[in-house]
Amino acid sequence: MGSKLTEKKRKAREPESDSESDNELANGLFDGVLSQSEDEEDYLPSDNGDDDVDDSESESEGSDGSEDGGEDDDILSDDIPSDVDGEEEISKLVKQQQELEITEPGVDPKRKDDDGEEKNYRIEKDANGGERYVYDEIDPVYDSDDSDAQGPVNTIGDIPLSFYDSYPHIGYDINGKKIMRPATGDALQSLLDSIEVPKGWTGLTDVNTGNPLNLTQEELELVRRVQMGLLPNEIEDPYPDTVEYFTSIEEKMPLSSAPEPKRRFLPSKNEAKQVMKLVRAIREGRILPYRPPEEREREEEEQEEQHFDLWQNEEPQAPNPLHIPAPKLPPPGYDLSYNPPEEYLPSKEEREEWENADPEDREKPYLPQKYNALRKVPAWGSLVNERFERCMDLYLAPRVRKNRLNIDPNSLLPKLPSPSELKPFPTVVQTIFRGHEGRVRSVAIDPTGIALATGGDDGTVRVWELLTGRQVWSVRLNSEEPVNAVRWRPAKDSFILAAATGEDIFLMVPTHASVTPALDQASRDVLAAGFGYATNGQQQALPAGKEPPAKWARPGTKLEDEGVLVRITVRSTVKVINWHRRGDHFATVSPTGQRSSVAIHTLSKHLTQIPFRKLSGLAQTAAFHPLRPLFFVATQRTIRCYDLQKLELVKVVQPGAKWISSFDIHPGGDNLIVGSYDKRLLWHDLDLSNRPYKTMRFHSEAIRQVRYHKGGLPLFADASDDGSLQIFHGKVPNDQLENPTIVPVKMLKGHKVVNKLGVLDIDWHPREPWCVSAGADGTARLWM
Amino acid sequence: MPKIKKKGQAGQARNYITRTKAVKKLQLSLPDFRKLCIWKGIYPREPRSRKKASKSATASTTFYYTKDIQYLLHEPLLQKFRDQKVLEKKISRALGRGDVSDAARLERNAARPDKTGKPRYTLNHIIRERYPTFIDALRDLDDCLSMLFLFANLPSTSAVPAKMIARCERLCLEFQHYLIVSNSLRKSFLSIKGIYYQANIQGEDILWLVPYKFNQRVVGDVDFRIMGTFVEFYMTLLGFVNYRLYTTVGLKYPPKFDQLKDDQGAELGAFALEGVNIATGEETKAITNGESEHGPDPKVQAEVDKLVQQLRDESNEKTEEAQAEDADGDEKPSDAIDKFEPVAPGGDVLPQPSYSSSDPSQLFSKFTFFLSRETPRQPLEFILRAFGCKRIGWDSVLGEGAFTTDESDPSITHQIVDRPVVQAAVSGEGDGEDNQTAQKLGPNARYPGRVYVQPQWVWDSINDEELKSPELYAPGAALPPHLSPFVKPTQGQYDPTIPLEEQQTEGEAIAAQLEDANEEDGEESEVENDMDIAEDDDEDEDEEGESDEVEEEDEEEGSEEEDESATLQRQIELEAEISGKSVQSKKKVDAKTKAKLEEKKALERRQKQEAEDLERAKGMLSKKKRKLFEQMQYTNNKKSAEDMKLREKRRRLEKEKRA
Repeated sequence: MGSKLTEKKRKAREPESDSESDNELANGLFDGVLSQSEDEEDYLPSDNGDDDVDDSESESEGSDGSEDGGEDDDILSDDIPSDVDGEEEISKLVKQQQELEITEPGVDPKRKDDDGEEKNYRIEKDANGGERYVYDEIDPVYDSDDSDAQGPVNTIGDIPLSFYDSYPHIGYDINGKKIMRPATGDALQSLLDSIEVPKGWTGLTDVNTGNPLNLTQEELELVRRVQMGLLPNEIEDPYPDTVEYFTSIEEKMPLSSAPEPKRRFLPSKNEAKQVMKLVRAIREGRILPYRPPEEREREEEEQEEQHFDLWQNEEPQAPNPLHIPAPKLPPPGYDLSYNPPEEYLPSKEEREEWENADPEDREKPYLPQKYNALRKVPAWGSLVNERFERCMDLYLAPRVRKNRLNIDPNSLLPKLPSPSELKPFPTVVQTIFRGHEGRVRSVAIDPTGIALATGGDDGTVRVWELLTGRQVWSVRLNSEEPVNAVRWRPAKDSFILAAATGEDIFLMVPTHASVTPALDQASRDVLAAGFGYATNGQQQALPAGKEPPAKWARPGTKLEDEGVLVRITVRSTVKVINWHRRGDHFATVSPTGQRSSVAIHTLSKHLTQIPFRKLSGLAQTAAFHPLRPLFFVATQRTIRCYDLQKLELVKVVQPGAKWISSFDIHPGGDNLIVGSYDKRLLWHDLDLSNRPYKTMRFHSEAIRQVRYHKGGLPLFADASDDGSLQIFHGKVPNDQLENPTIVPVKMLKGHKVVNKLGVLDIDWHPREPWCVSAGADGTARLWM
Repeated sequence: MPKIKKKGQAGQARNYITRTKAVKKLQLSLPDFRKLCIWKGIYPREPRSRKKASKSATASTTFYYTKDIQYLLHEPLLQKFRDQKVLEKKISRALGRGDVSDAARLERNAARPDKTGKPRYTLNHIIRERYPTFIDALRDLDDCLSMLFLFANLPSTSAVPAKMIARCERLCLEFQHYLIVSNSLRKSFLSIKGIYYQANIQGEDILWLVPYKFNQRVVGDVDFRIMGTFVEFYMTLLGFVNYRLYTTVGLKYPPKFDQLKDDQGAELGAFALEGVNIATGEETKAITNGESEHGPDPKVQAEVDKLVQQLRDESNEKTEEAQAEDADGDEKPSDAIDKFEPVAPGGDVLPQPSYSSSDPSQLFSKFTFFLSRETPRQPLEFILRAFGCKRIGWDSVLGEGAFTTDESDPSITHQIVDRPVVQAAVSGEGDGEDNQTAQKLGPNARYPGRVYVQPQWVWDSINDEELKSPELYAPGAALPPHLSPFVKPTQGQYDPTIPLEEQQTEGEAIAAQLEDANEEDGEESEVENDMDIAEDDDEDEDEEGESDEVEEEDEEEGSEEEDESATLQRQIELEAEISGKSVQSKKKVDAKTKAKLEEKKALERRQKQEAEDLERAKGMLSKKKRKLFEQMQYTNNKKSAEDMKLREKRRRLEKEKRA
């Protein structure tokens, strides 16, 4: 309470001092008013720094005073009323001020606190005479330590004051006490106000306090400056000149007393280098002196392209082999003329066809046209396009060197001998031999060329007169099995026919008109000689228990009467008989016979030998070499040639066929033809290679038999299941270096195909260009 | 163990490079690569196996030799392209920054040959590289000339700058001047596409096409950048070729060019050729009209004449002396080729260049031509000059540079006219007095003593190297067909210059005669019959020789046919005997037709036989060769079918004409 009291006292004293000071200023005319206004001013919420300064000054003044007085206050606390003049007016004012102080915003209390902080002690002299700080006693009231204690503040919140217009108070303080409306001037006061506008009068009312809002001179000045767009507070020069730390003032005295270096007055080498660089660049034209662009352009235009003899020291180079020069465009033909011969003009249909065709499909990109005068010729519309196309071709078309054969196509054809040279060869069927029941399996013409022997499915062997086709002799060898092969003994001193049926081989002497009794007897002797040998000469003693490869016997009286004189029985069915050229040996092949499939029979000794212990593959056919002691055996795929004297393998011929059906050796001995079931006819030159020299595929079915003409004519023929014979001209030159000429000359068709079998066998006449074929249709035919 | 070979490390995979890879390797843009390829003459190749050559999964379209691309890597032009690319980049960057002045400065530095027609680079070294010798360059001149002549006639557009066109035109005219001076033009041909010319320079035949003087239409997608690249190269090439050609004939290159005259349309006349020896200076030839003294004042003319006369007299004397010397002394040595005559019979005759009595290059030297205004002046002027003509006049509408523009000039010997004859009464009245009075004549009026021909006369004359009879080419006359001089007659091909009878096949001849005979049944023209008989005899003889063997084989059929025909003949004879004379002629005709029929049959038989033989021979060929043979036959048959069609048409036309 005491402090409050002191404050009150102090405040109470302040006006005094103020008034005193004011008194100094004014002559105390409106004493009260001024003090009032002063007070009011003091209470303004928006105080300027200046004011503060003034205030603090004034306050410090006051405080100084109060301090001095404070001691007194404290001491003479009770004396206050006494101390203060008992004037009621003053006490009233103090009260008023006290109330006003409550409403004062918390600036002043702070100040007061500051004041308090500063001066909440006093210095006394202690016993020693030293200074001694004696602090005030702390008043332990409620809120006493609240340094932020604020004065009475209206707590009504953010509502217009007008709500309280009808009340004497304007709101409530924090303690819920009414804050009374400040006394407004009465009529006189307001009149006075209107007459004399006080300094800083604005005519506005402070929202918070309800007092008229007055502004100080400084505040007004500030407002004015802001309105004028000036700086809010007055500074003399917002942009003062910079003060340079280092001036450009040349020093009179040198900093260093060293003598000037030599480089200062020698020309710089580096610079000289740089300059030379530029000079060089200018000389070389890398840097051009500046010229205005127009002038430069003009100069460039004037500058003609420099021409010189580019090929002055030309040296021809060999053209790069990889370089392909662009082909030239073909020169224009007659049809491009503006006035072509009339036959070049397109007819109506041609024109329509051309017009309807797609431009890409047209053979020529233009149609010939005729203009009867040069002046009528129009511009060619697509000339630019054509040139463009050419350009594109030149740079974009891949160039390929194509070897155009600018030759007559006929020169490709082989030089065939003229037809007259090829002649004679069989062309037409001369005789048809009918009589066999079922297929005719084999045919053979006797060495004299008069008689023909055939063997067929009916098990008979028949002998015919070749030219007339008359059957002269016939014998049934076997009623069940067909006669697979008939072959005449090649020697002319006898008339012996060998025929194979089943596992038996019969040797016979047919009766024929041309056979003289002497010849007949000679033949019988030849056949009988072996019997004598067999009985007289010792047959090779066979190991016991081993069956001989063949049995030679007489076939029986019935057959012997017919002329069949010898029967040889081997182990399996014989398919092929081939005589040696001398007629003493013959080979038989029975493909199913496994190791005894090939047998060589000696007629004079009635001996049968099996030359091969083992044979790779099924033996198909075998033959003797016409001149040398060689023996050929054909298996399915290969033909092996053995030397009969040295008993060794000489050669293996590989025709490449899948299944060899037959082969024949050229009478010259160096060439071989092979027929195969896979429709191929192959010519081998034995000296050349073991591979075929020519392959001919002219048949649509398997080839059954191939034959050379043995009588000196360059002919060979093959028989096929397609029912045709093909006659070839095959000339083997005497000169070893030349290749044989092979010319197909004739296809002989006549045999019917029965059960997919056509012609089964073929044989040539020993001298004439005639051949005989055996057909599956039951006939044999003579072609001449 | 041998080294394991990796796939794609050797062989085709290494030898070929795709275009994309090539472009990447050269670090160029595709257009620049294209340019480089065009100039350097690099073209794609077809690998033997595309699959082996390409490493990528997708099918590449274009392959180059890797070595070719490697060769391009060393090309100095590559650097130019790259510089240009950098410059373009700079410009675009400057523009992106909005720095217009910088961009403009850079733009000034940029060479824009597509706009100015003037590049910063030269292609000299490339030309030397591609054509190591001059002959090589001449060999490749065909496309160059065709292209430049086309561009010389193009309208200027943004893609084809006017300067480029002017330059092409100039180069072409300079080349033409060389041809005129050296008389090396050989042939020319008026086609529907344009005019073909053929020149022979140093033994090389050069053929090129010049379009007619019309505005060229550009239709379809034509990339002028590509063509421009070619033209750029060709211009340089022709420039150097021209230089070389001019210097070989002792002329200075480039010739003096008169811009004023050119502006007035003088074309060839705008150039003045001068000799290399400039010091003498007198060799300057006014190329246009050999008659520079045409129209000077008479006094000077008279003096000159006098001088000339004196000179001539002197020279005459000299020649006389010389002749006298020649007569008693040895023969003068000359550099001409001597004619070798066989002294003794039996030696082989070797072909020698022949001396024709008249030099074809001086074909028109004695004449003065006048071109009517409807004729194409440029080609006519060029051809006439190239073949020795010195004085060519033309109507003033056709441009500057004429010897005379006065149609009535008395020195004119030939006038080339291409206008139809007007069928009007005017011709009647306009003939007489108008001639002397009026400068311009009536439509059909002619100056006396002058040959009037159509333009084709000039072309046909130079192609045949002789002056054609002008009657055939008179104005208004139906012109004889204009034939291409470039077609070389080959055996068995249709040739329109040879009469039909000489080239038709036997079968056709017989068929034609049969037809004729059928038609003649009613008419009976004795003369033709006789002719036919004569021909028949010949053919019979021919056939007999060949058909001998045939008959042996086809005896059966043949004999039957013969029997038939014999009986028929007999029958007819009998009938004739009965009826008497009146039927004689008919019988004769019948007999003749029958003979023809027989012939035809024989022919067919023979053909059949030949076909069989062919089949037989073909059977002996290997598969590969047979295919080749069949291919060849296919093309041959196609050709012969075409020829047959032509012959048929011609036969029909001839028949129509006769009828």
